[in-house]
Amino acid sequence: MTIGSMLGDIVNSFFRKPVTEKYPFVRSETPDDLRGKVVWNPETCTGCGLCVKDCPSDALELFTLDRAAKRYVMLYHMDACTFCSQCEVSCRSKSITLSNDQWELASTSRTPFDIYYGREEDVAKVLETASQEKTEPDPEGCE
Amino acid sequence: MNHSIPPIVELLLFPGGLVLLASGLLYEFVDRKLVARFQNRIGPRWFQPLADVIKLLAKEEVIPAGVVKGLFVFLPIVAVTAILTAALYVPMFGLKPAFSYPGDLVVTVYLLSLMTLCTGLAGANTEDRFSLVGATRALTQMFSYEAPFLLALLGPAIALGTWNIGEINAAAHNNLWFIIAQPFGFIAAVIGLMGKLELPPFDAPEAETEIVAGALTEYSGRGLALFRIGRDVELVIGLTLIASFYLGGLASPLDFLWKTLILLLVTAALQSLFARLRIDQTVGLWWRMGSIMVLLQLLVIVIGKLIAPLFPFLSGG
Amino acid sequence: MMGAENKPEKFVVSIGPQHPALKEPGHFEFAVEGEIVTSATARLGFVHRGMEKGTESRTWVQNLYLMERVCGICSAVHAMAYAQGVEKLAKVEIPPRARAIRELVAELERVHSHLLWLGVAAHEGGFDTLFMLSWRDRETVMDLLETITGNRVNYSANVLGGVKIDIDDTKSAAILKGMDFLEQRTKHYMKVVTEDETFLGRTRNIGAMTLEQALRLGSVGPTGRASGVPYDVRVDAPYAAYQDFPVSIVTDTAGDLEARFVVRIKELYETYRVIRELVEHMPAGELTARIPRRIPEGEVISRVEAPRGELLYFLKSNGSDMPERIKVRTPSLCNWGSILATAVGHKLADMPMILAGIDPCFSCNDRMIVVNRGSDQSLWTWEDLRQYGIEYYK
Repeated sequence: MTIGSMLGDIVNSFFRKPVTEKYPFVRSETPDDLRGKVVWNPETCTGCGLCVKDCPSDALELFTLDRAAKRYVMLYHMDACTFCSQCEVSCRSKSITLSNDQWELASTSRTPFDIYYGREEDVAKVLETASQEKTEPDPEGCE
Repeated sequence: MNHSIPPIVELLLFPGGLVLLASGLLYEFVDRKLVARFQNRIGPRWFQPLADVIKLLAKEEVIPAGVVKGLFVFLPIVAVTAILTAALYVPMFGLKPAFSYPGDLVVTVYLLSLMTLCTGLAGANTEDRFSLVGATRALTQMFSYEAPFLLALLGPAIALGTWNIGEINAAAHNNLWFIIAQPFGFIAAVIGLMGKLELPPFDAPEAETEIVAGALTEYSGRGLALFRIGRDVELVIGLTLIASFYLGGLASPLDFLWKTLILLLVTAALQSLFARLRIDQTVGLWWRMGSIMVLLQLLVIVIGKLIAPLFPFLSGG
Repeated sequence: MMGAENKPEKFVVSIGPQHPALKEPGHFEFAVEGEIVTSATARLGFVHRGMEKGTESRTWVQNLYLMERVCGICSAVHAMAYAQGVEKLAKVEIPPRARAIRELVAELERVHSHLLWLGVAAHEGGFDTLFMLSWRDRETVMDLLETITGNRVNYSANVLGGVKIDIDDTKSAAILKGMDFLEQRTKHYMKVVTEDETFLGRTRNIGAMTLEQALRLGSVGPTGRASGVPYDVRVDAPYAAYQDFPVSIVTDTAGDLEARFVVRIKELYETYRVIRELVEHMPAGELTARIPRRIPEGEVISRVEAPRGELLYFLKSNGSDMPERIKVRTPSLCNWGSILATAVGHKLADMPMILAGIDPCFSCNDRMIVVNRGSDQSLWTWEDLRQYGIEYYK
């Protein structure tokens, strides 16, 4: 029976630096396998759409601009993404990966969370069609 | 009263009033910081207790249904008043006490326990389960910790033959430090203080994980701020009393500072070492161990006084 | 203060749904006389999220991630139980390396869960230093899991057909180093828990449950094993790689709170040993096996040992790519009966520690339970359920 069995601990802790990391002034290194933001490579994508089908939170959308020439645009809803990496596993051509250094993704508005991946001209075309559709009055009125 | 500071300044500013409140907040900060460092954390910054008080004062005070309204509002004010009055008799900051007369030791200890009584009444006033259980525990703990605390403070008083805090302070400086001459009394005084202040491990009356906040559960806003300030100032006054009695008197502000801070270090270490004792364990422990320790100590002192005339080279206890 | 002393008035102290003692909402009512508890009741259901219904509109692959989020602390075992069940339905054998990695992640999660529980139970008993320091040491295993799987919670290491992560030499070295550090700290905590006078005053002979009581009330996991129930799914029905890397069962006879602490810490020793073995003798091979998208028809039960006890999954497939029914029975649900029965006669101050002693996980708990009150219908359709809800709240 001891009284004060943690005495060694508290004396030790008193003379050590606190273990609290003073984020954001000090950032520890992220491991290589960290599951951060999804990054898509349009050049290698075959358009199979397995990533879209397998995503548990429907965070990916694939727009087909030209099937034969393999021109696609991907819309990534980062706010719906759970960073589970199932898309990375399902992809047969290794076009989709989760980055390991982009993980500070908080923002104060909704706009940075809809990310369009693809070649610039393709993305511009997709955005144009999207805004044209939007000029018709939307009965739901959301977004 | 023997000084050049006009009494009104003394009452409102220094060493009473604002400086006393500020020192209470400062000591709370040091206490929390020490406990955090013992647990390997960073702890709050220096203005955290002040920020807490300002935040509480800015919040709306909710008076729950079923309380006696006047009592609800009045009790925190009485508690803080009692504590601030008690500071007038104690050698705060190493200066002579503002008022001094024979027997003020008893008055001071009574005023300090008035705060616990107010807490208990505040808890009994509401209809909330948690407050009622907390009030019961607070009053039970008060019964078990007040008596040994007073007896422990009486040790040096009897040894020096006076009941006047100011005189005890001055005389303790000239004698062997009572921590060495009366070690049991010192231990009883420190643990008694922790029990009075409901510091862990004796915080059963305000056990956060069992009864939310104990007797003060229903308080918010100004009432809670006043109770907290009262507790902090009680901490300072208690430490000052123990330092002046057992650590050889307080002769100057610097003396006051380092002696009370050493005591605070010891108290903070005791706070982090133990699990919370159940209310029946706190009472059982202290009614047995504490009272026996203190009574033994008093016996030794009385015997010492009786045989002291036979040994003229022994001065004091 | 509490009514006339002669009247047998019940003074009810309710803990929850919002209470500092509870990490998640749950409602407990204790009738007290002074400080002694005379009766205890519980009401759960505050964290019901409708997950079992949600699985019916998602594919098998998507459900893996939904089931992982049933609980935050034991998420890997939920995913593992689900994946095992699906593989059994599809009659697919996963390669040995995948099985070993599954066991590794599950055991690392057990370490994290037990250390978390140690801190939380210490906090309930007012011992904040043990709480802070054990959580500081838990950061080691959280960082290890982040290095291996990519996330500190919700590891997503399992896929249908195997695992998606691999262990290489740097990771193995990091795991071994972490285990050495944790073992040394765990030995220290064992000493604190079994020898510290104030802590023993809060845990010894509190909430004692005899073996007969434990068997009758159906306790599982470390709560049951602390009373001597010799049941551990890893030993009695080995899954994953437990045939090749077995664990021994840890039991105690005292059945009180101290025994529950001791059992969990001894399980930690076993876990460190098994993790070291796994890392040093990891079988080579592939990580996944091919699994079809449409799972053949059938019903299967998949059992694993979560850190809290036996976790049971019932999966029913109708041949399509979406499940027909998934039922989850979590261990915390079985253990509630044990505290409500043993809480009577203890002091009110012991209640939070007794509640924390079974390691409750409320999010796991809240599945839908229907008590048949006289109606003979055993299958409820969605319409029946809606009607019942409307009637209930009228």
